[in-house]
Formats: sequence, C-alpha cells, structure tokens
Amino acid sequence: MNSERDIAARVAALPETIAAYREVILANLVMLGEIPAPTFHERERIDFLRQRFTESGLQNVSYDEVGNGAALLPGTEGGRNILVTAHADTPFPASVDHSLSLYPERVIGPAVADNSLGLSMIATLPMVLELLDIRLRSNLVLVGAVRSLGRGDLGGLRFFLANSGLPLDAAIAVEGVELGRLNYASMASIDAEIRCHVHSDSVGEGDSRSSAVYVLNRVIQRLCDLVPPQDLVLGAVEGGTAFKTQARSASLRMELHQASNRQLEELGHGIDALVEETAAETGAEVRFEIMARSNAGGLDPQHPLVQQARAIIEALGVEPSKGCCSSTASCFIDRGIPGLVIGITRGRHLNEADEEIAIEPIFKGVAQLVGVLLAIDGGCCDRH
Amino acid sequence: MIDIDNWLQSNTFHHSQFWDLKRLVEEKERQGLQISLCIPTLNEEKTIGKELVLFKSELMDRYPLLDEIAVIDSGSTDRTREVAAAFGTDVYLSSEILPEVGSKRGKGENLWKAIYQLKGDIIVYVDADIKNIHPRFAYGLVAPLIYRPEIKYVKAFYDRPLATSRGTRPLGGGRVTEILVRPLFSLFFPELTALVQPLSGEYAVRRELLERLSFPIGYGVETSHLIDTWTGWGLEALAQTDLDRRVHRNQPTRDLGKMAFGILRAFLARLRSHGIVPDLPELTPMLRQFQSRDEHYEQVIYEIREEERPPIIEIPAYRERRGLAD
Repeated sequence: MNSERDIAARVAALPETIAAYREVILANLVMLGEIPAPTFHERERIDFLRQRFTESGLQNVSYDEVGNGAALLPGTEGGRNILVTAHADTPFPASVDHSLSLYPERVIGPAVADNSLGLSMIATLPMVLELLDIRLRSNLVLVGAVRSLGRGDLGGLRFFLANSGLPLDAAIAVEGVELGRLNYASMASIDAEIRCHVHSDSVGEGDSRSSAVYVLNRVIQRLCDLVPPQDLVLGAVEGGTAFKTQARSASLRMELHQASNRQLEELGHGIDALVEETAAETGAEVRFEIMARSNAGGLDPQHPLVQQARAIIEALGVEPSKGCCSSTASCFIDRGIPGLVIGITRGRHLNEADEEIAIEPIFKGVAQLVGVLLAIDGGCCDRH
Repeated sequence: MIDIDNWLQSNTFHHSQFWDLKRLVEEKERQGLQISLCIPTLNEEKTIGKELVLFKSELMDRYPLLDEIAVIDSGSTDRTREVAAAFGTDVYLSSEILPEVGSKRGKGENLWKAIYQLKGDIIVYVDADIKNIHPRFAYGLVAPLIYRPEIKYVKAFYDRPLATSRGTRPLGGGRVTEILVRPLFSLFFPELTALVQPLSGEYAVRRELLERLSFPIGYGVETSHLIDTWTGWGLEALAQTDLDRRVHRNQPTRDLGKMAFGILRAFLARLRSHGIVPDLPELTPMLRQFQSRDEHYEQVIYEIREEERPPIIEIPAYRERRGLAD
C-alpha cells in the first residue's frame, strides 16, 4: 500500500510531466466545451464523451436510461470500484455561442469552468493514466452525469448511483474550479423558486402595489427577516415586461442551507407561512417550490480519504480551501460512499459569457486527481 | 463538357465519410505521403490558439495524419505569432521566406510562400478565423487525396449535418459567390459551377499541382486556382467536401465590394490569358465607393491591384530546395 507521504511526494512531481500533454487536455476541453449542453439536453456532449471512451479502449461504454454516459477502465485486480464523475450540463441555453477562445495562459467562454473542464477531465483521464504509466488495481468507473443543475437536481448522478448495480468503494466528483476545494460534506440545502403572479384585472390600473415586483419585494423582505444572511443565497430575480406596465409576474431563485435536515424542514415551514401571509396581504398568487434538495452529512474531517486528499493538495503547493460542503457530496453521502468533490484550476466570471479559466494550474489539478486515485487505490478508504 | 451530375456524385464528399481516422492514417503511411497544414494569419490572436491545439492534439498526437503544422503570418500587429509559438507551432513571417523575391502583401502571398517553406506532398490550407474549428476541417479535405489518386485539389464547402438534411433546399456560397463568381462561371466556365463554394478558404492540394499554379496574391487566388486547375487538369482533378458548418466573422458589404473587384480583375485577366476574351482594354485598379460627410457626398477610391506570383516551380531557389533539375 502506498503511504500518504509516498503518494504526496510522487504527485508533487507530476504537474511537469502532465504539462507535456497540454494540447490533449485542451483539445478535449475545447471539443466538449463547444457542444451546448443545457440541463436535460446533454445528449450530444455525452455522445462525444462516449466516443472518447471508445477511442481510449474502455469497456462497457454505454448510456443509461436517463442519458448518463459511462465506461469502465478495468483494474489489474478489480477488487474495488472507484467512481470518477463530472456533470455534463451547463447553465447556458443552446442559443448562446459556445465558442471558446484559447490563449497561452487562459481559456475563455461560456461554461468553460462549470463544467466543461471537469467533464473533459473524465474524457482525458484514461489517456493521462496511460501516459504516466499508471495502472490502477481498482476498476475505474467514469461517468458523465446529466441533469445536474437547477431542476435537474443532480438527477443523473443520483440515478446512476441507485441503478448502476456496481458496488462503489469511493467516488470523486470533478468540477472545473476552484483548485484547492475539498468538499466531503453537505449541508442540508434546497434550491427553490418563489413565483408571484397578480391577476390581470388589477394590472395597468393600480399603483405600484399592484405589481408582482412589489409582491416579490415584500416576500424578499420577509425572507431576509426570517433567514440568517449566511444561510440564504438570493440568486436571481426575473419579472415584468416593460417600463409602463405593472409587472404581472415575478420570481426569485434562491438557495437555503442549514446545518441539519430538521432545521431546514422547520425553515421551510416558516417560508410556507410567509408566502401565505404575503398572498393574503396583497391578493396575489404566491408559490414556493423546491426544485432540488440535499441532505446534511458527510465524511469525518479525519477520514483517511480527506486527510490524504488534503496532503496531496498541499504537496502541490496549493492551499486547501476552508469550505467543506457541496450538494454533490450529498449524493455520495446518501449512499454511504466515501466521496470528495475536487476542483481542477482557477477561474473567474463563473456562469457568465466570459467565464475564464487559467491553464497553468490545470496540471496541478490533474496531478491532484491522479493522486487521490492512487490514495484510494492504495486502500485509504478500506481502513475506515 | 463532362456530366456535372456524375461529378457531383463521384467527387463531392461529406466529412463523415472519413470518420475512420485510423484507416486514413494507415493508408497515408502506406503511400508514404507527407502532409503539411498551413494556416495563413493576419491578426488572428482570438482563434489561432484553438486551431493549433485541436489540430496538433487530434491530427498529430492522437492520429498522426499531419506531419507539419505551420503558421505563415503577414505581419500581425496583435499577439498572433506569440500565441502560435506558445502552442509549439512553427511560425514564419511571410516576408522572411524567399527574401530574394521580395515581399507582397496579401493572403495569396502567404499561400504561395508556404509551398516553398513546407515539406508536405499535400498541403492543406485552413483559414485562422474559424470559430467552430474541428479536425474535420483538415481531414475532410485531405482524405479524398489519400483515397483517390486522380484527385489533386479538394475544396471545402459548408452545408449542414447529413442527419438533418431532408427534402430540397438551395445550396450555395456567400454573397460574392452567388452574385459575382457563379454568374461568371456560368457564362465562361460552366463546369466550375459545380463547386458549391468556390471562394472557401479551406482546401487541400497535391504539391505536384500546387507548384505549377500561379498565385494572385489578393482576393483572386481561389478563383484563379479553380480556372487554372480546370484548364490544365480537368474537372476530374477537382473535388469538394462538405464540412457542415463554419462560424466566422461576417464582412461588411463595402469590404465584399473590394473583394468582388479584386476577383473580377483576376477573372478578366484569366479570360485574356486563356484567349477567351483576348481584346480586353487596360483595366483600372481603382475601385470607387461613396459616402456622405455632413451635407456632402464624396467618393472614396481604393487601389486594388491583383499582383500575381508565378508558379513556384519556376523559382530557382525552390527548384534547388526540392532537388529539381534545371
């Protein structure tokens, strides 16, 4: 079994070797990233991923019923199954120009960080392992997961975990950014939408209090009184159509999190009450809909997988980030699978058209992924 | 005149016919061919990096179809050469190739000098401004030359994926093609109308043909190539491949006017040199366009000369480099 120190030392030397395969890594990123993949419409991107799996000589290259793309790289012993997955969908509609621009130091374009880079890692990993002459004892299960974002509610990954029939010993979810993230736990959280609608006979004649924007504003004020600021993400608002017309509808998308499932449930009851109260006060229709839900839980920070992953990140000269929670981790937690979410590089302008990633840190990110695989392959999850 | 319908059947391809790159590389190696990719550039820093990475990764590292990738630059003032060099590509300044013949400004100059600089038996030219670049832009053009020895010159055209092609739809090129070049071809070289997009900037050519073609250095290079290839080798030497979709910058109408003027001058020069219309008067190189300024209208005059490089096989330095007898 590889010791923690052996792996960290080995990984520290990898980025330089991996950098020699920069073109292969970037080519997969560009070819995957320029295929639009809005949630529920990821098929073309998964097709490309499967083509790459086939070219790499993987086994069991397949779709499942919801459209996840999966393949198996058999290990030399095969006693253990390690899942490496990345979500294939992006927040951008297909109508957006998905062209990426490539400069010596960075790549720019829609969804390049979230999560074209992560998915391209799944496509590239078999070749990287081959080039590094690494043959794992464990089977490597590679999955491009669909239906992750928004209303997808991590549906692709959840479906795979529930139905693949493979006993998974460990899992790694790969995100494009940020290098240094190490998510091994999940807070109880929900992604939710509040929609306000005012009836048409009151629009155009009344004052501003007859606007759906006014109603939504009342809702937001009450939400902010109810939920501590650190537990509430006011993500996006939409509403109305013109300068001169009171808005008929308005909506808010938000994320809420709490330390426990029970606390979150209680908070949900509170939001139900404030929604009813606002509806009664304004005469508008106000609806609160939960689109995605994650349960609280996770690995112990002292779990060997977490410890080894942290040592690997530090050996690469990267500061592990302080946050430990990710909703993706909850998929693994729910199934009792030791799992991590890691990031590959640094980025900015996330989810904007000029989303950007840095190229140089990618080589450390890939080295980190290889290192964590070596740690799991060496048995770090077996000991706990 | 040969049967255009038959030619369309036999010499028009879709890139998806050549998906088996492993087989293509095996056939290329069996024939001992060397293939060079030339990307002519002028201020293309936004797209050049992506093109180079894709071609190098897919068609050199993964499938060794290309033996050489080179950027021939006209003197970019942005980071084009720096970006290209950063991705490990051979970058040449056009003016530094064959300095003894001087330097002219124009894309055709880069293409012509590439024949001297590059070593391939086949040279494939791909423009640098393609936003949706994909390896098919090179292998789709090279493959007919590898599989069909009688074909010497393969042009790209851009239609749409086969999977969505249903029923009848018009097929054609851009504005300059449909308004100028196709009517001219219909009048004087009807067989060449079979080329869907005669002005496309992507094509693959065997050296044995390329070194015998004259090169207008400006807008007329593509049109002249087709006329000269057809005149010398017949339509059977030409082929075309549908590469699906090409996303690139759209040019303003006034710029297309300049392009049309240059093409027309090159075309008329061909009519004269081939004896089709021998008695043309001397043609002015001045294009006149008009604009309004405040209360006044004024003309804007552009001088558009279509200088021409001779077949490079006539250049002593080229013959020496290729080991050709005088």
